[in-house]
Amino acid sequence: MQRILNVFVKYRNSILYLFLLVFSLIFLKANSNFHQLKLEKISLFFSSSIYSFSNSINRYFHLEKENQRLLKENEVLKSIQIKSNTPFLYSEGYNNKTNFPFDVQKVNIIKNSFQSQYNYIIIDKGAASGIKIEMGVISNNGIIGLVQAVTDNYASVISILNQDMKINVRFKNRTTFGSLIWKGKMPKKFSVEDVVSTSSIKKGDTIVTGGMSSYFPYGIPLGVVTNLENNIQNGYYKIDAELFENPAELYKAYVIENRDFKEINSLMKNIKQ
Amino acid sequence: MNSQILKMMGSFVLLILAQVLLFNQINIFGSVNPMLYLFFLVMYPFDQNQTFYIFIGFVLGFFIDFLSQTGGAHTIASLSVSYLRPIIMKYSFGLTSELPKSILTDPRKTNNFLFLLIFISIHHLIYFAIAYFSADAFLLIIKNSLLTMIFSLILILLISSLYRVK
Repeated sequence: MQRILNVFVKYRNSILYLFLLVFSLIFLKANSNFHQLKLEKISLFFSSSIYSFSNSINRYFHLEKENQRLLKENEVLKSIQIKSNTPFLYSEGYNNKTNFPFDVQKVNIIKNSFQSQYNYIIIDKGAASGIKIEMGVISNNGIIGLVQAVTDNYASVISILNQDMKINVRFKNRTTFGSLIWKGKMPKKFSVEDVVSTSSIKKGDTIVTGGMSSYFPYGIPLGVVTNLENNIQNGYYKIDAELFENPAELYKAYVIENRDFKEINSLMKNIKQ
Repeated sequence: MNSQILKMMGSFVLLILAQVLLFNQINIFGSVNPMLYLFFLVMYPFDQNQTFYIFIGFVLGFFIDFLSQTGGAHTIASLSVSYLRPIIMKYSFGLTSELPKSILTDPRKTNNFLFLLIFISIHHLIYFAIAYFSADAFLLIIKNSLLTMIFSLILILLISSLYRVK
């Protein structure tokens, strides 16, 4: 207490000065509208910068929550997006549920390999969340692979960075089909095969999923054509393609389920027999 | 001692009245009004209690503001300048030299003048900065402070020489 008093006595002039200064500022504010306005502007400037600082800290602590909310929103938007591609295939009865049998579920990628020629991915949802074998896995701008094996809480996915994977694709706004195959070197470099050289394709065309398999719906954008060579000898194009998104750098994915998968599969089996 | 206090009180009232009734109406070049009341803060003895002096500076400015309806600019300017007076004094008379009892009796002419110059310029700068209170009016603040400073300085020098004759 004695020390506090000592400090008070030592700095009495400055304290008195500050006190009277504040008093005269209040006096100034009360007396003049012009100064009132100006002082309020200054106080607004200070308070707003303080609030924006505290707000930015607050926001930082809410990032996780916000992230979860956005992912949930993305899940909904993703299902709407892949559905929006379908009028091209099913122009009638767009809102009819049986015409679009796909459901979307978001998952985290917990292991992602890309060094080998046959890469696999592990995701953090399994049979308990309704994941089944041979479901498609897509990302924001492309597809990731197919579910290969399922445990209760995890599932392994054959990555499209796997030379065994062939994905049915088509060129946007054209009717040409092809198969997308990884070249096995760079994670974004792919080639498209089985495209006959009579079809009209240009460099820069967008490649989308074809909708011919029961794994992926039509119209998920995958990449662009970067190089085009017409091979006269066998009548097929030699097409180089580049993906929009590097499948080796992903952390979030969406598993899509085809509700009619069993039905379609049973038909396929009958054909084979 | 008592007569000195009476004298100070008398000049306090007299200077306020002179400032409000006479010098605020002069309007040299249209807008320049010399601030004579600073003379009180200048001639106030140096060896008195600094805390009380700050309070006097505040009251003086408050009265001038109150009577000439200028918001609080005079109050803030004279309060600040009376708070800063010991520092100004050290700068104008030298850190080590003996400080004078009062500016009126001190023989060091150059130092006196320097003290007055710094004291008045700080006061005027603060006053006009608060009166205009805008960064856009920077040149206007400088111009007005310089002009008013010249006239205030001349007036205060004249009055202090009158006091000295007495």
